[in-house]
Amino acid sequence: MKRLPWLTFTVLTAALLMFTACGGGSPSGTGSETTTADQVLHDWLTTDPKTFDVQGDTTIAVYEMGRNLFSTLLRYKKGSLELEPELLAKMPEISPDGLTYSFELKDGIVASDGTTRLTAHDVLFTIKRMLDPGGNGASPWLFEPIKGAKDFMEGKAQDIPGVIVQDDTHFQIILEAPYAPFLQYLAVPAASIYIESLVTAAGENWATQPVGTGPFYLDSYAPDQKIVLKKNPHYFEAGLPKLDAVEIRIIPDEATGLLDFEKGTFDITSIPDTDFDRITASGKYTILKNDALNTYFFLLNMDNPQFADIRVRQAIAMAIDKEKIVQTLLGGRGSVAHAFVTPGIPGALPAGQGPALPYDPEKAKALVEEAGASGKTITIWQIGKAGDSASNTNLAIQEMLRGIGLELKVEIRDRSAYFEARAKGEIPGYQGNWWADFPDPDNYLWTFFHSSSSQRYSSNYQNPEVDALLEAALVSSDPKERARLYQQVEDIVVGEDVAVVPLYHLQQFRALQPNVKDVVMYQTGLVDYRWTYKESR
Amino acid sequence: MLRYAIRRLLWAIPVLVGVTLVTFILLHIVPGDPALNMLGEHPDPQTVEKLRRQLGLDRPLPQQYWDFLSHAAVGDLGTSYYRKVPVTQLIAQRFPVTATIALSAMAVGAALGLSTGILAGVRHRTFWDTGSMAVALAFISAPIFWTALLAQLLLGFRWGILPISGWEGPIYVVMPALVLGTRYAASIARYTRSSLLEVIRQDYIRTARAKGLGERVIIYRHTLKNALIPVVTIMGLELGGLLTGSILTETIFGIPGLGLLTLDALTSRDMPLVQGTVVFTAFVFVISNLVVDLSYAWLNPRIRYA
Repeated sequence: MKRLPWLTFTVLTAALLMFTACGGGSPSGTGSETTTADQVLHDWLTTDPKTFDVQGDTTIAVYEMGRNLFSTLLRYKKGSLELEPELLAKMPEISPDGLTYSFELKDGIVASDGTTRLTAHDVLFTIKRMLDPGGNGASPWLFEPIKGAKDFMEGKAQDIPGVIVQDDTHFQIILEAPYAPFLQYLAVPAASIYIESLVTAAGENWATQPVGTGPFYLDSYAPDQKIVLKKNPHYFEAGLPKLDAVEIRIIPDEATGLLDFEKGTFDITSIPDTDFDRITASGKYTILKNDALNTYFFLLNMDNPQFADIRVRQAIAMAIDKEKIVQTLLGGRGSVAHAFVTPGIPGALPAGQGPALPYDPEKAKALVEEAGASGKTITIWQIGKAGDSASNTNLAIQEMLRGIGLELKVEIRDRSAYFEARAKGEIPGYQGNWWADFPDPDNYLWTFFHSSSSQRYSSNYQNPEVDALLEAALVSSDPKERARLYQQVEDIVVGEDVAVVPLYHLQQFRALQPNVKDVVMYQTGLVDYRWTYKESR
Repeated sequence: MLRYAIRRLLWAIPVLVGVTLVTFILLHIVPGDPALNMLGEHPDPQTVEKLRRQLGLDRPLPQQYWDFLSHAAVGDLGTSYYRKVPVTQLIAQRFPVTATIALSAMAVGAALGLSTGILAGVRHRTFWDTGSMAVALAFISAPIFWTALLAQLLLGFRWGILPISGWEGPIYVVMPALVLGTRYAASIARYTRSSLLEVIRQDYIRTARAKGLGERVIIYRHTLKNALIPVVTIMGLELGGLLTGSILTETIFGIPGLGLLTLDALTSRDMPLVQGTVVFTAFVFVISNLVVDLSYAWLNPRIRYA
């Protein structure tokens, strides 16, 4: 050792490690052979989902994995917002009082292991697992409307009387009170149905070694490196999926991922703003585009003294030139928001209509002067990531507000600090966005403006009239009546009280290699590969 | 020397405990609740409480710290909040990846840096000296993300010689090792040159020349060994840094190493994982410093440890 030059030692150790570590990249899981067949889709993500347990996480990456690995009772029709049965044999029957839902499962659904059958008992197990007070269910709100769910969640009851299993394929769900969006809840990936015996058998490993009834199964998972999904040969829909496998690499750097896509390593990519024109104008790729269900907004914390004067809030709303933001900052890849709920959602106002105050900088300036607020500083928070569209929009708004005599101060916080303060209602104001969990105005308006929820989003909006309207809309089963009630809420919150300034709705895009066909991108932001196939190039 | 090494290792224990205490305090001073972070857009208070209970965040802080310390003493650094996997297992998976990059980069750095530094020192005030030092300065000044992007564009995209990103075989090591290595090569070259020039002016070198020894013997046997002491110190410290993960390089090339794991742990407030990676980082630094100190004795036999 003493005579061995350390440089040689370093080189040899590096070489040795190189072989063990790269081999060590062999993924954990049930198998790890490289897929070489033609029908293999190569995709990439910037963040590792870290878990495949859709009950325990609410991020879009986990939801997307969930759609591949599991099935929900209901789902959206290919590329639309209309519900259709997935695990169910038919749409559920709803009693006239809107309380009892009767379900029938498709017969003979088995998991990707080919043997374990899914039954109505597993539906009860799934609901209990999500609501378990000692469990890790992160979206109990999905099943909270069920009769007895709250007592179960609080540990006051051992059972949920609102879920009645009749036999292996039939079950009923009874709600505490009529709840209009309930069926939409059942299509959220977090409401995927787990099979009890498989979850129990996997124990602690369920999060990384799940087995479900989805179109693909998890073949291997190398954290922060690669996820390999393979075709589930026992999938209950004949002829699907068309792909043999989906290989998903984790690349945290967007520019690197895009370069690898352009080189042909990947079949599909999201398109960073900076490269959008170049990629779309190249003519080399198929571009998928849709109006995603989102609203980007400027939220004013109603408890914060800086927004106490309605004239200041009105002035801010009238000073922001949304059209300019959409055209210059987004390059036209979006539309001006006139209301808080995204157009296209059943019950929302049509595109181009809404109670948002029109752009009028002169009037805005006069309002600021009238309120004696000229030269005042308005403080908002932003999650600390410079150079993205949120920062750019904030800079633009800063300049626009300066034009009417207000100084906008943007304080940067890291994600964790931001979420903590927001949940406590302490963020003075922010530019945020909301992507619909399910296409219903309740998902937007109750979340931000019902007094039971508004503090968690630092809106702190309290208005008994709005509460009453939202509660009435929630229990109504008449779509027209619901739309009318929600539009009334929009009029009050956006038009009269100016508790929020809706800015724009962002479109979403994906670029595909030209031989990749039938990738379905939903307006909820999820991408579905069950129909996807590749033509030879 | 063995007693010296053992004593140094024993001293590492209070250092590591101190590091965990400081990290623990810092993690709890900075705002950011892990449970809220995990729930993201749906911070329903009941679920937040449930999660906090499950993660053990509802216990008093001193108890949390004591629990961590007592488990860490027997090698249990806890379980990652998000990944639901023991922290020691995560570090054990990631360290070989980072070590591969670190040692490969250091090998590239040492090979290029030492040879360039020696050339510049020996051919002092010639074209070789100024030329190589100018190149070295350029590489030190160029940020990693820029050289990485350039390498990806040229070696990966244009010429297709190397993969642009990923970690699937030995070939994937080459580009990150080159990018990181050339940066270290530049600083090693500059240190080697200046140290060489200092030693070459010493009396004993003049004596060696007067005795009529060949230039090669003078440089390699008498000058270089002594000139390398400060260079080894620098390399040791940089290797310590590299072994704990190069966040930028791992991010750009999509390498599942320790740097990426640490960054992720910090941003998501994955407390056990932050504690684990920090303890491990401190340990690596203690060891690399010790190795550097011990290597002095090999380089210069006059140095002895009692």
